[in-house]
Amino acid sequence: MSADVELSDVSVTFGSFYAAKNVNVKVNGGEFFSFLGPSGCGKTTLLRAISGFQEPSEGKVLIDNKDMSGIGPNKRPTALIFQNLALFPLMSVSENIAFSLEVRGVSKEERKKRADELLELIALEGQGEKKVHQLSGGQKQRVAIARALAVEPKVLLLDEPLSALDLKLRQRMRTELREIQKRVNITFIYITHDQGEALTMSDRIAVMNEGELEQIGKCDEVYNNPLTPFVATFVGENNPLYGKVTGIKGDKAQIETADGQYLAMMNETKKLNIGDESIAFVRPESLFIPRDDDSFDNKIDVNIESFEFEGNLKNFYARLQSGAKIKFSVPNAIDTSSISSGSSIALGFDSSKSVILPKASLAID
Amino acid sequence: MMGIYIFIFFAYLFGPLIIMSITAFNSAEFPSIAPWECFSFRWFNEGKIAYDGQHLAGLLSDWRLHDGIISSLIIGAGVVTLSVPIGMAAAIVLTQVRSQLRDIYYSISIMPVLFPGVIIGISTVVLWDRIAGLGGEGFISDIGRNGIFLTILAQTCFISTYCFLIFVARLQRFDQTQEEAALDLGASQTQVFFKILVPYLSPAIASAAVIAFLFSFENYNTTVFSILSDQTLTTVIASKVRLGISPALSALALTIIALTIIAAVTYEVLRRRAEKRYAESQERFVKEKAADNRINKKYKAGFKIPKGITAILLIVVFATYGATQIVKNDLYGQSCIDAADKEKKSKFLEQLQTLESNELTDEELSGGSLGGNQDYGDIFGDPSLFQDFGGFD
Ligand SMILES: Nc1ncnc2c1ncn2[C@@H]1O[C@H](COP(=O)(O)OP(=O)(O)OP(=O)(O)O)[C@@H](O)[C@H]1O
Ligand SMILES: [Mg+2]
Repeated sequence: MSADVELSDVSVTFGSFYAAKNVNVKVNGGEFFSFLGPSGCGKTTLLRAISGFQEPSEGKVLIDNKDMSGIGPNKRPTALIFQNLALFPLMSVSENIAFSLEVRGVSKEERKKRADELLELIALEGQGEKKVHQLSGGQKQRVAIARALAVEPKVLLLDEPLSALDLKLRQRMRTELREIQKRVNITFIYITHDQGEALTMSDRIAVMNEGELEQIGKCDEVYNNPLTPFVATFVGENNPLYGKVTGIKGDKAQIETADGQYLAMMNETKKLNIGDESIAFVRPESLFIPRDDDSFDNKIDVNIESFEFEGNLKNFYARLQSGAKIKFSVPNAIDTSSISSGSSIALGFDSSKSVILPKASLAID
Repeated sequence: MMGIYIFIFFAYLFGPLIIMSITAFNSAEFPSIAPWECFSFRWFNEGKIAYDGQHLAGLLSDWRLHDGIISSLIIGAGVVTLSVPIGMAAAIVLTQVRSQLRDIYYSISIMPVLFPGVIIGISTVVLWDRIAGLGGEGFISDIGRNGIFLTILAQTCFISTYCFLIFVARLQRFDQTQEEAALDLGASQTQVFFKILVPYLSPAIASAAVIAFLFSFENYNTTVFSILSDQTLTTVIASKVRLGISPALSALALTIIALTIIAAVTYEVLRRRAEKRYAESQERFVKEKAADNRINKKYKAGFKIPKGITAILLIVVFATYGATQIVKNDLYGQSCIDAADKEKKSKFLEQLQTLESNELTDEELSGGSLGGNQDYGDIFGDPSLFQDFGGFD
């Protein structure tokens, strides 16, 4: 049992401040959908609008094509997992999980049965008698999920539920969350400022900035074809090359920068004209040290400054002649002993792996 | 050095209480230690019939005290049932009002504790006298002139503020997302209140109730006005003291102190036991998690000397000394009391006789040959006295 969630022109204002502005998005039933954006961009606000704690100042929230305005959070088919989990510290784990059944007047045996089922789902069998403070961070996480699932919601809303966990646990919980979602098959709307988290778990993501949606799409689509310089730099890493458009060839545009001319893909919805101020983006992993048989349609001369070993990748930090910084990554398997700090080399990249967008501000990092 | 200061400090704090407690066991009519008459429990029981026939009531036989205690208990219960909900509601409202209004609301809410209690008492009486006057002969006029009812209202005025402060302190640490989580899980506002907020506030409810009761029980300056023709324990004691203090009051004080100490110790023991149980469950949990038995060592609890050992020793020494003195000098039991009474009675009779033999005649009383009132004679009858007075123009 899952439901569509549709936000139609939703704005939320606090005084004259827009925490969310004209948000239009349709989340399909059974989908794992993520809102991704930097801290303070209005993600929690949107989630609260969906769950009913915050009435939108403008626009409508539709769940299963039903207008939700005026319907309180306890009457909506949604369950929210709070940023701080908000487990009830005075109750045991089972009581926490069965709380929603208790307030609906479900009998004690029934409650126990359901709580045990859910404990099994989250792999905490036999731990229902524990108090919340006796659980580890990851276990609390799972209890919060079980408590939300006990309502049998059609939509589960998760507000950065993994942000308090350490890296290893976070990675494990990602896969667990994904598995739980597949098992219960309901709509998950997930909020995070961690792009890795969003990309690995979601079917689709929406990137937000300052209360507005920048782009909605499948993960690889957003990663490979960002619509704005913000998305290009917020989702994954990207090297910006500033310049002016000097020529258009089909779906590609030529950009003239202080360091030379490059060819890059234009987005269909963001057509450029000659003379436009624009930015070409190339990802660190798309920059290659050319071998004899390689032929790249873009060449770029750099001066290596420093080097960083990341494990699977080796990251090089370099500068162009104009002084602009650039980063490129090489798989660990490739021999780079010839490259040392201070050396000048030529890198190549394919125009199909580079995008060019009208000039706008980047994600600050 | 530190120890001496602490001793002086505690002697200053508890000295009067200890002296007073000891006087409760002296059979003399006035609370005293130094002329020790006999060791007895009479002031806890029947008191005594004095040699001049006056009944000096002990704790058990003093019906005015009993009535006072009963009305104090009734008032205390009434104040608790009113103050705790009012304080709680006011504190919850504080969490809901907008930040600009919050300071004003808070200041107004705590104002009653700043008013003198006397004013609260008098104003309550004045108000309800007017209200009772409006209502004619009915129910309103009855309760409007009922001292117990008025005292409950008057005390609630400021005691609910103390409750308010207790709840505010607890609510400040409340995580409001818990309420939202409960709402989100389908609870109604009422269910959120009873299943989330009330359990969270229950320690505050308990302490607010205890504090409200204690404040009510010991209150005098508001009560003395609002109680009208009734009496509470404090007003009974105050009116007794006006006639001179009695060892029965020492006995009462000792009883109250003992009850307080027993309550406090019981509370502490229960609290420690709960804490221990909590620590044990925590430990079990830790052991469960850490599968290896590195931390599964057994700690043997060694015998520890209690910290208050000097104080306890001191008390024991004094108590034994006192007891041996009493036993050695035969200063206890009925025979001692009878002897003391007899002696006093004979002394009293002696005095009576001297008085009778010194009795003055009527003539002596009215001045007589000694002059007396005649000295001041009939000043208004003396015509020469005002002869220089020019009169009023
Ligand atoms: N009740 C409120 N009153 C006024 N401003 C608010 C309120 N709630 C949120 N805001 C503002 O709205 C903006 C968005 O807040 P929101 O909590 O949605 O951010 P977020 O994207 O969830 O951030 P984070 O990742 O840090 O949780 C913030 O600038 C915040 O200051
Ligand atoms: Mg947030």
